[in-house]
Amino acid sequence: MTDPASLERVRAEFLDELARAASDADLRALRDRYLGRKSGVVTSVMKAVAAAPAGDRPALGRLANELKRDIDARIAERREALAALGSAIPRVDVTLPGRQPLTGRCHPLTQMRERIEEIFLRMGYEVVEGPELEDDYHNFEALNMPADHPARDMQDTLYLAAPVVSESHTATVLRTHTSGMQIRYMQAHQPPVRIVSPGRVYRRDNFDLTHTPMFSQVEGLVVGEGVTLGDLKGTLASFARDFFGPDTAVRFRPSFFPYTEPSAELDVSCFQCGGRGCGVCKRTGWLEVLGSGMVHPAVFEAVGYDPERYTGFAFGMGIERVALLKYGVDDIRQFYEGDLRFLEQFPA
Amino acid sequence: MKIVVPWLRELVEVPVGTPELADTLGLRGFEVAEVDRARDVIDFEITANRPDCQSVIGIAREVSAAFDTPLRPIDAGPVARAAADPATAATVTIEDPVGCPRYVGQVVRVAIGPSPGWLADRLLAAGVRPINNVVDVTNYVLLEIGQPMHAFDLERLAGRAVRVRRARPGETLTTLDGQARTLAPDMLVIADAERPQAIAGVMGGAASEVGDRTRLVLLESACFQAASVRRTSRQLALKTEASIRFERGVDPGAPLVGIERACTLLVRIGAGEPIGQALDRHPAPPAPRAVRLRRARLSGLLGFEIEAADVERILPRLGFTLAREADGWTVGVPTFRGDVTREVDLIEEVGRHVGYDRVPETFPVLDRVQRGLDPRAGWDRLARRVLAGAGAFETMSFAFIERAAAEPFVADEPDTLVAIANPLSEKFAVLRPSLLPGLVDAVGYNRRRERRDARLFETGRCFSTRIAERRRVAFAWTGAAADEHWSGTARAVDFFDARGLVETLCQAFGAAIDCVPAERPYLVAGRTAEVRLASSGTTIGVLGQLSPAVAAARDLPAGDEVYVAELDLEPLGRAAAALADLRVQPLPRHPSVVRDLSLELDERLPAAAVRGTIRQAAPETLASVREFDRYQGTGVPEGRVSLSFRLTFRDPERTLTDAEVQQAMDRIVAAVTAAHGATRR
Ligand SMILES: [Zn+2]
Repeated sequence: MTDPASLERVRAEFLDELARAASDADLRALRDRYLGRKSGVVTSVMKAVAAAPAGDRPALGRLANELKRDIDARIAERREALAALGSAIPRVDVTLPGRQPLTGRCHPLTQMRERIEEIFLRMGYEVVEGPELEDDYHNFEALNMPADHPARDMQDTLYLAAPVVSESHTATVLRTHTSGMQIRYMQAHQPPVRIVSPGRVYRRDNFDLTHTPMFSQVEGLVVGEGVTLGDLKGTLASFARDFFGPDTAVRFRPSFFPYTEPSAELDVSCFQCGGRGCGVCKRTGWLEVLGSGMVHPAVFEAVGYDPERYTGFAFGMGIERVALLKYGVDDIRQFYEGDLRFLEQFPA
Repeated sequence: MKIVVPWLRELVEVPVGTPELADTLGLRGFEVAEVDRARDVIDFEITANRPDCQSVIGIAREVSAAFDTPLRPIDAGPVARAAADPATAATVTIEDPVGCPRYVGQVVRVAIGPSPGWLADRLLAAGVRPINNVVDVTNYVLLEIGQPMHAFDLERLAGRAVRVRRARPGETLTTLDGQARTLAPDMLVIADAERPQAIAGVMGGAASEVGDRTRLVLLESACFQAASVRRTSRQLALKTEASIRFERGVDPGAPLVGIERACTLLVRIGAGEPIGQALDRHPAPPAPRAVRLRRARLSGLLGFEIEAADVERILPRLGFTLAREADGWTVGVPTFRGDVTREVDLIEEVGRHVGYDRVPETFPVLDRVQRGLDPRAGWDRLARRVLAGAGAFETMSFAFIERAAAEPFVADEPDTLVAIANPLSEKFAVLRPSLLPGLVDAVGYNRRRERRDARLFETGRCFSTRIAERRRVAFAWTGAAADEHWSGTARAVDFFDARGLVETLCQAFGAAIDCVPAERPYLVAGRTAEVRLASSGTTIGVLGQLSPAVAAARDLPAGDEVYVAELDLEPLGRAAAALADLRVQPLPRHPSVVRDLSLELDERLPAAAVRGTIRQAAPETLASVREFDRYQGTGVPEGRVSLSFRLTFRDPERTLTDAEVQQAMDRIVAAVTAAHGATRR
């Protein structure tokens, strides 16, 4: 049963429902309901028109097609309007602060130590760690510092009140450097050797703005056939340019350590002033950062290496000192206080 | 060592000004501490191996090599002597030739008075206080040639005798500084016929001190064994210009030169006249030393070609003698270079004067792959990464702490604390038995600085007499569990936040853990758990709330809840090593069935026990069981708790039927009812 009035009722019903449609999903349902291919309301109307008396057919057909186009257009129009309005999902105030996951940081000395380790790992070094409680042999004697040697004064030692026995040794001192590990490594391995030994070391030092009785070191050791002072200089210069920046100039100065001969200090151009001279470098343009030298033959003899066949170099640096210079920290004790206001300043 | 530049210029030709001189020697191994332009003095830091350079002549030799200029001879006599006279004669006997290889004495008739201005000024410029002409001359010689000297008032020496011997038990001596000192039998002394008059190489005695009324002195110019002087100086806590030089080793050839130089100066300034010949006791003069230097080794070690001419220019300037050989040289070592005993020592001498700036930058050959990072360093890295990622800040604290801070953590075995024999202060008296005291103090430090919230962690070694040292990781957490936020998610930290962090950390190492109720004297009873590896049951650490008493003792604000945990890294590291063999599980191909089970239980019953019963009663298809709700209050009787579990069933081969799952649930309910008196809600 089809006539113009019933078509108008369909249109009115549709408009009513269209006004209530609030989402894309509603519009899709509406479209299905009216224009669906199988059971859509308008589809049924079209079928009814086909069954109408032949005389009414053209007019009714025109009206039905117009209704179909109208519904189609209105749904599309409504869809655009809804999209323009935004969806019906409640809005948020995007200017409010976010809910951050808890974030922490590694200690600046750890970050610095790992950077140093990474540079040497890239250069093909092994990173080894050793005991902090050492015996006299590994801390001094094997390093060409026999008892009563004046060089022992260079490192004021903290002694244990009573020896502490472990599986590997009987400790009497807090290690004054990580060199003991290098002795242990050489005792256990034949050359070639290429290691760095980072770790905490202890000295009976004054406790002031630039000294703490515990600090961190990275030491290195390379042993092989034909290793030269030039290899030492090249290695440390490469390290310095990697660590302090590609424009870093380096300077090698003779020095003395009981376990190396010849010995040298490595100065790098001041990263604050670029070598022109400033407060950081005490107007010299240079910063002393590394002690080094060719391994003393007495050290090789102590570990059973043939000093005629093998040569090698060793080096060491204090991490705190570099961190003080690099970050402009004026009191070394801040590294050990755990003050969050300090720790939070370093990048993650 | 303060070097007065005009003095240096008397001993060697210096072709440059003072600043350039300082720079040049700075690059030869003599670090410059300060240049005093006004007084024309350079203060050098002399390394321990170069006692010869604790003198103007030593630096002069370096200048000579650095600029290739000649040394100028020092006027060291010999001077004319008055005839020996039995009335003034002295005797010198070395009774301990090991402690004193050489002793030269010289009797001098003196007229004590002030030194002339030039002499006093020179001493002052070098930082030495003038005293009187005789003492000043001994100090002048010390500074000039590095030979320590002493002047005794000869008439105060009983028997006018000098005997170099070890101290006898109970002997005492009042030294020049006015201190009465008790001598130990291993200390070397200069005694007269009766008693000690000086501590050899360290300090003279007050009784034989040269004073205004002194008429005769015995000048001492000797060589004492370095180790002996060093030991004595340490024992007495007494360091002097003499002891500093002796303990590094002085030139056995210098004592007689010292006497002659002193006599020359005393005569020149009219302070005295030597009587009789020097009494030189030198029982076993060392044989001249020679060291081979091979050209190939020289260039091979330094890494670049060194000209023979460089060697033959540099070494003689430094006082060495050279004899050419087919492959290099035989080098005669002067007595003042006790530090040169090996070929490498000579290589260094040549190298530093050729200049380290000429050393090329090369790279050592790498002919095999190295093993990379120490796995133990890797554990530290992993623990740090997990904890920092989970919101904690890494701290570092000293490994030595005060006894009071350590004791609560070893209350059950206080004698395992490792004490330091010579701590810097009581604050650093013992090695930490745990990382927690340091973390607790760091929390307190932040709390006293208006920080309510602190999540801190540390990795490092802990010490005990039983295990020596052990690697641990620990954290302390107080204040908020989550940051304050406008949405109202803020919450104070509780035990389960801390436990969750421990679980996350252990998971990263591939270790499943159980927490078992435990007691620790520094943790709150009932809020303490031992952390055990699920696989082996091994205890790897502890977790809990810090006891308010310990917190109060470390000045933490009352009422703060601080949760702490500490784990051994070694067992975690071993667990992580097993991750290397990881094989993935096939992904489930059939759907799982989830059932919730709410039980009413005795509130004291550990959830782990119920979970265990469920697992035991369940078929293999139970894939997981997890508590998801715990409730006490309305509807739950007093002393009971409602605990809800979510059970997931899955079969890898097929889809489970409802009936099968229901059967499993019935068995589980029956089991928990029987085992724990549970009722299903
Ligand atoms: Zn600068």
